[in-house]
Amino acid sequence: MAEPIIDNGVVIDDTFAEAFPMKATRLLITAFDANWAANAAVAMTGFATSVIACGCEAGIERTLSPDETPDGRPGVSVLIFAMSGKELAKQVERRVGQCVLTCPTTAIFAGLDDGEPIALGRNLRFFGDGWQISKMIDGKRYWRVPVMDGEFVAEETTPVVKGVGGGNLLILGRDTASALAAAEAGVAAMRRVPNVIMPFPGGVVRSGSKVGSKYPALMASTNDAFCPALTPLAKKTELTDEVRCVMEIVIDGLTDADVAAATRAGMAAIVGRGSAAGVVRISAGNYGGKLGPFHFHLHRLHGGEGGT
Amino acid sequence: MTTAWLLRQRSIPDLGIDFAAVSPGRVAGLTADELARTALPLGRETVELGELFEVVARGGDGPELRIEGDCRRLHGIGRGMDGGRIVVDGPVGDYLGAEMTAGEIRVDGDAGLLAACALAGGRIEIGGDVGDFAASSLPGATDGMRGGVLVVRGDAGARFGDRMRRGTAVVHGAVGDFLASRMVAGTIAVGAAVGEHPAFGMRRGTLVFAGDKPRVPDTFSPTAHDIGVFWALLARSLAPFGGAFDGLGGRLPGRVVGDLAVDGKGEWLLPA
Repeated sequence: MAEPIIDNGVVIDDTFAEAFPMKATRLLITAFDANWAANAAVAMTGFATSVIACGCEAGIERTLSPDETPDGRPGVSVLIFAMSGKELAKQVERRVGQCVLTCPTTAIFAGLDDGEPIALGRNLRFFGDGWQISKMIDGKRYWRVPVMDGEFVAEETTPVVKGVGGGNLLILGRDTASALAAAEAGVAAMRRVPNVIMPFPGGVVRSGSKVGSKYPALMASTNDAFCPALTPLAKKTELTDEVRCVMEIVIDGLTDADVAAATRAGMAAIVGRGSAAGVVRISAGNYGGKLGPFHFHLHRLHGGEGGT
Repeated sequence: MTTAWLLRQRSIPDLGIDFAAVSPGRVAGLTADELARTALPLGRETVELGELFEVVARGGDGPELRIEGDCRRLHGIGRGMDGGRIVVDGPVGDYLGAEMTAGEIRVDGDAGLLAACALAGGRIEIGGDVGDFAASSLPGATDGMRGGVLVVRGDAGARFGDRMRRGTAVVHGAVGDFLASRMVAGTIAVGAAVGEHPAFGMRRGTLVFAGDKPRVPDTFSPTAHDIGVFWALLARSLAPFGGAFDGLGGRLPGRVVGDLAVDGKGEWLLPA
């Protein structure tokens, strides 16, 4: 490892985050008020932290004011990422069917203009048992499905684009409180960046993983090099004695530039708080650069450059 | 290569002429002489286009045909058209834009019978009135208008939108009897009065009565649910047509469904 950069007392490792191509779509959920739009969006993006076992990674991108939505009601913009278009289609259908169709007063629309279309309302319409109505408006097909509160309106399809998943930032803190506070500040800054989500709870993951395990059945296991409990024990540790807590922020974005922008914003927020706030170092997770085509070099991002 | 032509009328033909062959795409590559010598059917004879029109080459950014004059004896203008633009400064005959799949037609005048029948795509705008069976099916056919957009600035005749299946048809003025008879789907919006027996045998589709509210037949029933989302989408789509269709978003409509005589799921939207 080359020379680290020290800014505001925080060490920035000369390393990079390694990210992967994914398939992504954006959905716009609207409802009677912002609360019900949020209820649907929270349910829909629940249990969607990692493709390892959730099928997809999903999160709320931002809330939408009425003048930003197709039907003029309050809404929420949601991004969903999966490893293939087929899996994404499956997840969209399940999640919209169980969490948006079911949620009072909601409607759902595609949030991207271009891309390969996958079903949005196309199959959910059959819930209407023959009473569903198709409507073409300005070249887009919508389905109106009778439900107990009126009708559920869903756009027929949503475009899928290539996305980038697995951008990350590791925050090495002196204690739990300082690492957590820094992570929260980083996530807050990243949430102001468009086209990205941080899919873990609150945007933060404490169980960073490495590839493989001593148990053959497991494909991933705890990232022992960053576990403070294992600093004196692991064959290879990345930590020093003063680091007692590590938090990770995982970032999925529609493009590598979006992930880079979010990483840069998060780093700036954390570094801006300085070492006095309890952050010792900032690092990133990678697999030696061999697995993922997108590399986000922290030093370059800190210097204002792009990622890969 | 000349792509845009102006046809300035010299004389009105004695009989009706099928003008369908003179489409913007087909005449785009011709010379002025070739276009003037294009033979058009006139009864059992033919007549050269140059006898009826002075042909003027014009600059343009795509295939375009501009026609000036009284074209009421020209039938099938833009029929089967698949791109380009036709602008007519004057009234036109029957079958305007019938079976058209793409492109744009604008008529600053009235149109005859069967305008936009079996329209499948593109946009037709008629500045004046339109005769019977506009946006309907070709005589004897089972499918009516199936795509595209028809805008009538004036009034429309009877059987407007008969057997219509898809697309949007907007009439700023009044419409005649049997509006949307046997309608299968699509959207028709009317800005003024409506004749007798609207939506007779309507199966699906949407009628928006932005002007006068017609009497609701016994074969239609009101529904009382919240259609705010759909209405917002539709009202936004209709707003650019202007006139009675601007500002519909704030007029949440009443809704009736039918025609129950044919187990219909069609809807009338009656803005407040």
